[in-house]
Amino acid sequence: MIQPQTHLNVADNSGARQLMCIRIIGAGNRRYASIGDIVVAVIKEAVPNMSLERSEVIRAVIVRTCKELKRSNGMIIQYDDNAAVVIDQEGNPKGTRIFGAIARELRQLNFTKIVSLAPEVL
Amino acid sequence: MLPSATFSVAGTTTGVPTIFSGEFWQLGYHAETDRSRKLRIHFSCSCRAKERPSQRFLKLNSKRRCTLLTFAFGKEVEDSFFSDVGEDTDEMYDELFKNYGKVVFKRKDQKPATAEVDDDAESLSFAVEMAKVASEVKAADIKVLFVKPLVYWTRFFIIATAFSRPQIDAIGSRIRDLAEKKYGKFPTGDSKPNSWTLLDFGDVVVHIFLPPQRAFYNLEEFYGNATPVELPFENQPPFCN
Repeated sequence: MIQPQTHLNVADNSGARQLMCIRIIGAGNRRYASIGDIVVAVIKEAVPNMSLERSEVIRAVIVRTCKELKRSNGMIIQYDDNAAVVIDQEGNPKGTRIFGAIARELRQLNFTKIVSLAPEVL
Repeated sequence: MLPSATFSVAGTTTGVPTIFSGEFWQLGYHAETDRSRKLRIHFSCSCRAKERPSQRFLKLNSKRRCTLLTFAFGKEVEDSFFSDVGEDTDEMYDELFKNYGKVVFKRKDQKPATAEVDDDAESLSFAVEMAKVASEVKAADIKVLFVKPLVYWTRFFIIATAFSRPQIDAIGSRIRDLAEKKYGKFPTGDSKPNSWTLLDFGDVVVHIFLPPQRAFYNLEEFYGNATPVELPFENQPPFCN
């Protein structure tokens, strides 16, 4: 359940450390975003000497949420943090590696690039 | 009666009970070789619990055993595991295992080993064919990696370099056409040429990069443990500036 003003961890090596969601991309006035949704976010904290800087506005895909993700077979996945991966306008990830486990739902949502860079797919 | 329950497994070697929670048939046991031994342990634990008159938590519903085979253990069951080990009721366990054990743990989507090998061979021929098409459109440094041992979600990666977006478009459309005509497969992924274009055929994933992106993402290094597949054609060397 990511909404504007939610702070997100960054799950890649793009150089951003923390993001704040400012808008959810999708139909009209969408209230919450979950795994696999694209949000517009602002970088609140960044690693020094990297290409991304503080207060830059970027797009990110949500890969982990504290709100549980339910599958049709009854499996429930719930992570300990809210995390996102920074992408560019074309949908390519800005970092080269993803950290932590991600859900396989991202593949169905056409984020196979993120899945192929991830170390663990649940 | 709910099908999900908390159940405990006592390892014969460690002697420390571990608590799991959830439904048996959704846990997805992947250990093929070890499977029968594990089942045995699971089941014999439950039977031992049954022998005690005080164990009123164990329920075996024989009428609907395919779906409702429910175990619930209280604390007292765990305490009593080890006192009953000497009882010689192995035959009873075997019989119960024969009747119910298989039913509890069998997954319907499991394939026999031969079918798995056939699928691999089919995907391999598809991947090599795709790589051949890419090479016909002058893609450079084509690599086919067998990534099935590393990731569960696909079998083969094809990584290729193209030198311009029109070339990426040409490679992508040739691959799409052939997959559609010959194999009846449709890719998901990028529809427009992109600096990293990805075509996802399920078992085979095709990555087409521009040279800077290929060096940036360095997928070969990330999947360094994957087995490279020998290609039956002359591979163009990587382009150097």
